[in-house]
Order: sequence, then C-alpha cells, then structure tokens
Amino acid sequence: MAQSASPPLLALDGLGKRFGSLQALEGVTLDVQAGTVHCLLGENGAGKSTLCNLIFGVYAPSAGQMRFGERPWLPSSPAEALEQGIAMVHQHFSLVPRMTVVENLMLGQAKGILKRREFGDRIRDIADRFGFVLDPDAVVGELSVGERQRSEIVKCLMRDPKLLVLDEPTAVLPPGEIGALLDICRRVADSGRAVILVTHKLAEIAKVADSVAVLRTGRLVAKADMKTADMGALVHAMVGREVKPLDVALSDSKEADSKEGDSTDAGAAPVRPGFALVCDGLCVQDRHGATRLDNFTLEVRPGEIVGLAGVEGNGQSELGMVLAGLLAPTEGRYFIGETELTHASAAAVTAAGGGIVPEDRHAVACVTAMSVAENMYLNKLDRFTRFGLLQRRALNEAAAVQMKEFDVRAAGPDVAFSGLSGGNQQKAVLGRELTLDPLVALIAAQPTRGLDVSAVEAVYRQIRAAARRGVGVLLISSELDELIAVADRIAVLYRGRLVGERPAEMGERGAIGALMSGQGI
Amino acid sequence: MTALALQMPDRRRLLAMSIPFLAVVGSMVIGLLLIAASGKSVPDSIEAFLDGAFGTAFAFGASINRAVSLSLIGLGFILAARANLTNVGGEGQIAVGGIAATALALWPPIAGLPLGLAVILPLLAGTLAGAFWGGIAGVMKVRFGTNEVISTLLLGFVALLMVYWCVQSTALLRQPQTSSSTLPESLPIPDSTKLAGLTDDPESPLHIGLILCLVLALATAIVLQRSTFGLRLRAIGLNELAARRAGMPGSILLVVALGIAGAFGGLTGAIMLQGEQFYLKAGFSSGYGFDGLVVGLLSRGSTLGVLAGALFFGFLRSGGISMEIMAGVPSALTLVIQGLIVIAVAGSVILVEKLQGGQR
Repeated sequence: MAQSASPPLLALDGLGKRFGSLQALEGVTLDVQAGTVHCLLGENGAGKSTLCNLIFGVYAPSAGQMRFGERPWLPSSPAEALEQGIAMVHQHFSLVPRMTVVENLMLGQAKGILKRREFGDRIRDIADRFGFVLDPDAVVGELSVGERQRSEIVKCLMRDPKLLVLDEPTAVLPPGEIGALLDICRRVADSGRAVILVTHKLAEIAKVADSVAVLRTGRLVAKADMKTADMGALVHAMVGREVKPLDVALSDSKEADSKEGDSTDAGAAPVRPGFALVCDGLCVQDRHGATRLDNFTLEVRPGEIVGLAGVEGNGQSELGMVLAGLLAPTEGRYFIGETELTHASAAAVTAAGGGIVPEDRHAVACVTAMSVAENMYLNKLDRFTRFGLLQRRALNEAAAVQMKEFDVRAAGPDVAFSGLSGGNQQKAVLGRELTLDPLVALIAAQPTRGLDVSAVEAVYRQIRAAARRGVGVLLISSELDELIAVADRIAVLYRGRLVGERPAEMGERGAIGALMSGQGI
Repeated sequence: MTALALQMPDRRRLLAMSIPFLAVVGSMVIGLLLIAASGKSVPDSIEAFLDGAFGTAFAFGASINRAVSLSLIGLGFILAARANLTNVGGEGQIAVGGIAATALALWPPIAGLPLGLAVILPLLAGTLAGAFWGGIAGVMKVRFGTNEVISTLLLGFVALLMVYWCVQSTALLRQPQTSSSTLPESLPIPDSTKLAGLTDDPESPLHIGLILCLVLALATAIVLQRSTFGLRLRAIGLNELAARRAGMPGSILLVVALGIAGAFGGLTGAIMLQGEQFYLKAGFSSGYGFDGLVVGLLSRGSTLGVLAGALFFGFLRSGGISMEIMAGVPSALTLVIQGLIVIAVAGSVILVEKLQGGQR
C-alpha cells in the first residue's frame, strides 16, 4: 500500500482495451517499481497478453493512461518501446534454429560489418553479470529450451532495458530449469530494472516475486505484496467464478437432483458394477521429451461425477487427447467399462461407449463450416447412409428432434454450425456424445468455457442427468466453484500429476485451491 | 456461377455475368493485338483458329476428345480437393495409365477377348495404374507427412521418364527394331482394343470416351453432393482433427481420395491411348495433366464447372494448334494468349465472388 518514496517506473491508470464488442481489459490501475519483480497472474483469456501488448506498443489503449519513468507512455510500436527501454520475451521464441546464438542476436542489432567476436564477448559479459552461462557460438537448434530462453533474455538485456516483460516464461520450461530462470529474474531486478512475470502458475514464481496482481476477465481483481499474500486467496481470485446466481442455481439443482435421485433410485438407476472409466498410470511425454502427464491413475464408477481440478496447462489437454483416442500415451493403460482403449482409435473409444466433449470445441469437436445436423451426427453418419448415399432428409429430421431435446437453438438443422452461439454449439456437441449407445463414460473438458449462465446450467443439467442414468463422468475444469457444485469428489492435477483428492464441498475450497497452486505437496 | 449470380439484384447480376464475358473478350483482343504486333495477319489467324477448333468434323471431334481428357483430370482434381488435397500429378498419372493400357492391349491374349473385354481390360489397367500412382502420394502423406503437391508433382516426372524408358527399350514396349530408322515408339495397339467411334463419319475421331466421361461426371457430382463418402471427404478437408475424433478413418480417406484422383488420370491416359493415339510414344500426355489441373482449379469444385472449363480449353487448344500450323503464329505466342485468357477467367471468378460476398 504505502509504496516506497520513489515514483513507480511504470504506472497504469484506468487502462482499458476494447476489441469490437469484446472488452478485453477494463480499468486496470497498477504501479510497477524499479528493482522489483512484479507478477501478473491470470488464466488464459484473462487479459494478460492484452495488457502486455498495450505496454509494449502492439495496441493502443482505448481508455486510461500509462506513465513510464517521468513521461506519459503511449508507444506507437514495439520498436519504439524497445527504443525507450521496454523489452519483452515472448512465449514463442523468435530465434532462427540453424544459426548460432551470436548470429541470432546480431539480427536486427548489428549494422554494417558484423563483429562476431565483439558481440560474443558482450553476450558472455551479460551472462556473467546475471549469473548464467551461454555459449555464443552454439547453434540455437541444438540448445535446450532453457538455453534458448536465456538467449532471448540476453537479446533483451543487450538493449539495456529499464523494464523486462516475460510472457509465460515457465510454461515451456522443464521443472529443473525454472529455478535458474527465477534467479536470473532476481538479478535483473537487483540491477535496478523492473521485471514483469506473466504466468498462471503462482507457486512457481512465488519465491521470486515482490508483488502480484491478479487479472480475471479483463479486470484487476486482486493486488498483493508477496510477503503478506495468502496464496489460496490469490488462486481463488484467479479462477473463481463471480456470478453469484449461478452458484446458487447449481447448488440448488444439485440438491434437488439428489433428492429426486433418492426417491427414484431403488428401481430406475441401473448401477453397473465395476468402473466406467479407469486410467492406470498414464504418462505423456511431448516431442521435446518433457513430461506432460505423469503416472495419472484415476477410477470413475458408474453414476459418479469426478471433477478434475487444476489450473490450465497442467496436463489437462494431454489427458483429454489420450482419453479421446487422439494421442497414444507413452505409458499406462486406459479402459472404458471392460474395454481397453490404451492405443485405440477415436472410433473405438466411441464404440466402447466413451462420450467425449473436447476442451477445444472448434478444433476437435465440430466442423464449423458444415451444418448443425451434419455435426450432431458426425460420428453416426452410417446410420443415415443407404447404398452409400446420405439420406439427408432423415438426417435433418433426426437432428431436429435432437435439437429440441437438447435445447439447441438454431434456425434449422441445415444451417451452418458456425452460425450458432457457443452455448448452442456446446449443447449440440453434448447431445451428440450423450446419445451414444452404449454410453458408459463421459469425459467433458472445460465444457462451460465461454458459455453464458443459462447455457452453463443446461450443460450441467445434462451431465447430471447422464450420471443418474449410470454414466461415469470425468469433468475436467479449471472453474473450481462449478466443480464443487456439480461433482461428487474432486481430484487435483498439478504439473501432470494427481496431487490429491477432496470431497466436493464448499469447505474444501481452500484446500483444493492450495493443491491447485502447488502448495503443500 | 450462374446459380450464384441469380441471388443478386439485377444490376449486380448483370455486372457479375458480364465480367467473365468481358474478361475473355478483352484478353482475346489483347491476344489479337499481340499477333498483329508480331507481324502475322490477324484475319488469317482468326480463320485458322476457328477452323482448327470447329471447322471440320475432324477438328470438332478432336476438340471434344481433348475436352474429355481435361474433364477427367479436372474431376479427379475436385474430388481430392474436397479433402483439401491438391493433386498436381495428373500428367504423370496419365503417363502410367497410358503405359499400363498399352502393355495390356499389346499382350496377345487380350486382343481376342469377347464382350468388349479387349477394350475394357486395358482401360481398367490404366485406371488401376493411375490409382496406384496417386495412392503412393497418399501413403507418403499419411505416413511421412510429405506434402502431396510436391510428391504428386515429382512422381509425375518419374512417370514421364518411365514412358521414355518404355519406348526406348525393346525389352519393354518399343516396337521391334528392324532398321536404324525405327522410331522409339510402341507397336500400334490391335483394332479390337480401340475405343469405338461415336459417329459414322470416318473423318471424326469422336469416340465413346465422351459417354464414359459424362457418366463419370454425373457419378462425381453424386459422390460429392449426395454421398456419405463425399461428406466425410469434406469433413476431413475442413477439420481433420474433428473428423478423426468423430471416428472417421482419416488416413484411409486421404489415401483413397488421392487414389481416386490418380485413377481419373490413369483412365485419361488409357482413353487417350485407346481412343486416338493408338501407340505409346514419349511425351504422349502433352500437357493435358497440367491443363486439366487448371480446369479443376477454375471450376471451384463444381462438376459442371469442370465440364464447361474443359470444353472451353479443348477448343482453345485445338484452335491454338491450328493457328500455329496454318497462320504461322509462334507457339509461344498462342500459349501467352491462352495464359491471358486463364488469368482473365480466374480473375473474374474471384471478382464475381467478391461481389457476392459484399451482398451478404
């Protein structure tokens, strides 16, 4: 609160940015002091990148002011920002793999005759000063990710910036290299510069940050001094859902459901024995050999809803791809019902009764240029095929019925899927997967992302109804409050590993939040 | 294009329909100016062009036969294009089809077969050879991620050299060498393996390939618009990951799509051989594969578009050749004029679509 006497290096005042109808950023007021590491926390889509891009001159703000040093700050381009002392390390490196470090760093900085030796010496000096080693003559393509990142950092530091911005620097790093990166950040800050670290992994950077600001849906929802901050509260601020009526609605219907379920349970619900879904020691390594999913073991019983909580980027995507039959695990086994699907195709997953609601709707769940009916029956087209010809009328009629059943609102079954709202698209996808026969397990990843409140409710109503029919549900989400409202128990994924399991109760929020942020492991 | 134009209000519609027309006329005028500038007689050139394209029964039949070949290549192209694949190997697929058809037609037992089998089997052999050639590119794509533009193109060069090899070596298809002046060609294929003519006129080279082509065009239209297979190709082409998630056999579909495109090319080669040329010689495919590719590209995925484009190109090529021979217009210049017309048509198609786009 009471900042040190010196004026801040960078001061943002009521900063806002609007893209068309989307308010990406609103009323952000923030000071960054020289000589400190400032952490900017937020989920994907929270506005972190937009904020960085405003500071770095990629976009012009639509509201508010910035000050940098003594003067008002309104850079017209990244080049001007660099010129004036702001440098940024982007998440995706801009290095030419086949050139050496020194050649890469000379690009855009050296003019006229190339002085390799001199440049190489400067690189070594900078590395020395900030406490690491970097061979200027190494070919970039042969370096580790951490070394490449250090090359990028040196590239920035060569310009002697007053402010260094790092966008998700830990996302690409293997665990062993994160400590080294944080040391560099500390030393850069100690040299009198300011560092802004953008991330959604709080625990990793807690050691080095001096202060932290949390963004959610474009707004600054929390600011704290790291010494006194409550980590659990920060994670909640980051992922928490603020729509109060929704939570109430969800909780109410959960109770109503269970009551209803109690009364009818005896005769109706066919509870199958055994497990609906079994993951046994699943591991996934990416192309670079980094472990994305580490010995993931989880069992879901028929009729049970298991929530898988975790901040995004902790292995959920890889798990979703494995369970969908689109990615072969490096190790481990995977069953739906009695059927082993470890190396099976997506078609086999569907045939075994695995309903999949992928996290990336547009990339995996649907073909947006095709019609609603075609999308709703994309995996069941054979049903409408006679002599190789598609019975379009029958398809459209069936789709119309299903659209009514799942409340998919569109002008008709033959309009383009891309014309539907996100909520209606998701209801259509859910309808497709819930009408599989047999349906043993449903794996839904971030099923409510980007949906409005009523669509969220509809999605969860359908998921709960499926569970009542005896389907085992794995619900992968970063919305903790939703998980608590819907799931029976909650497992937590952190860095590709299951780090704990808790009952889905409001009183456990703190404990789950701590697990999500990597605390107490 | 007309269907598209019909949705527009009158002025725009008129404009949209007149653009391609004006573009073609404009490029022709430029072409004539070029001819005049090169010192040749413009009226003579026009006369030679018309004579060569429509003038005689022979010229007309040859133009239609040319259009048949171009249509078949174009049909294969739009089928693969539905799966977002670009088959640029038509030329090579024609070549392997021609080799296979010649080899089978010259195999003694074939000529005596009843029930038209003497004609059908070489046609099938050509088709299968083309399918195999296209399928190689498909397998390379799904197994190694090789871009099909590159693989089909390079396989095309391989096939063209294979034709050369076949007609240079008596161990393969070269006719027996009786003197030093024996040409590097195959023997002519037996009469019983040739495609039947369509007319009684002995002058007309028109053959039943035209009927086959129209049937296949109809089949292609049905597959693309009405069949589940066509819908799957479309899904794969638009979003491969979603199609795979929905259980479609992505790799198989891609290989099959390129295989079918290749089959069309192979059939074209067999038809050219059995319908008109009757013996294999180096370079017999004479650029039809690439012209067919242009036809396919300009059609924007429409079967009718392919037929219209092929007709247009068929007459254009015949007339162009006649202009070279009879009016002495340099062949490079006729190619320039044809190129101008292609650019004009392609450009006007884009312009019309823009007009329609502004409408929405």
